[in-house]
Amino acid sequence: MLIFSVFKTLTDQTVTVELKNDLSITGVLKSVDQFLNIRLDSIKVLDEARHPHMMAVKNCFIRGSVVRYVQLPAAAVDTQLLEDATRREAANQTKK
Amino acid sequence: MSSLQGYVDHKVLLILQDGRAIVGTLAGFDQRSNVVLSDSKERVFSLEEGVEEVPLGLYLVKGDMIALVGEVDAAIDESVDLSTIRADPIPPIRY
Amino acid sequence: MDGVSQGIQEPFDLVRLSLNERVFVKLRGDRQLTGVLHAYDGHMNLILSDVEETIMIVEPLDGASDVPSTVKVAKRNMEMLFVRGDGVILVSPPSRT
Repeated sequence: MLIFSVFKTLTDQTVTVELKNDLSITGVLKSVDQFLNIRLDSIKVLDEARHPHMMAVKNCFIRGSVVRYVQLPAAAVDTQLLEDATRREAANQTKK
Repeated sequence: MSSLQGYVDHKVLLILQDGRAIVGTLAGFDQRSNVVLSDSKERVFSLEEGVEEVPLGLYLVKGDMIALVGEVDAAIDESVDLSTIRADPIPPIRY
Repeated sequence: MDGVSQGIQEPFDLVRLSLNERVFVKLRGDRQLTGVLHAYDGHMNLILSDVEETIMIVEPLDGASDVPSTVKVAKRNMEMLFVRGDGVILVSPPSRT
């Protein structure tokens, strides 16, 4: 739930999603759901010459399970807030 | 899976876990992102020759098999001569 | 649980105590990362900053199998990175040197 919330705060930011098939897609984060499925707008595939498969695709839906990494804009991430929220969630987890 | 809602009746490109690329019109989908495509074609990429389109017709793809769904800009897509495109197929998803 | 283990009772406690510290992460696909840990969850999804990724690319030499295959190492830096938990093999706290 924590990570889902983080992604929600990053809506409308530009991110780069690296897939487990080695495709890297940069785009504007439009939405995310509980499975961390991701909607990107204004996308650009890295190394387009080698990957022309998505030339005509301008926005896409990426299944959360095929994501390896998401590169985030560091300026939009409050690391102190993240650490506090993580400790809080960890404490809730052990209480259960 | 509200994210696929905007794509209904639009031309989409599916990239599957095994690396296949399928284009078609999104006829419908469900909660598990199972997808029905109408008038679909597989695009087979290779370095040796241009892209080959294999007609598949009405196709149901299980959500588990899907890596990515992209909305195809019809104008851009139609302006591209697929027979001139040479590229390696997309690699399969490796966990 | 003695005092030396600083209240580490379960594996995730070790990860929690590594928050805001540089950690080493081993991933599937012959990848490894070091970075400062800022968030994690029960799936081992991670958010790291100041990340260096190292990828080992093994190139088997064709022909004789007694010839050792060459290993290429590729490195990359990323400012802020979300890592999906299903690729994580281990998270190791910083070495106290």
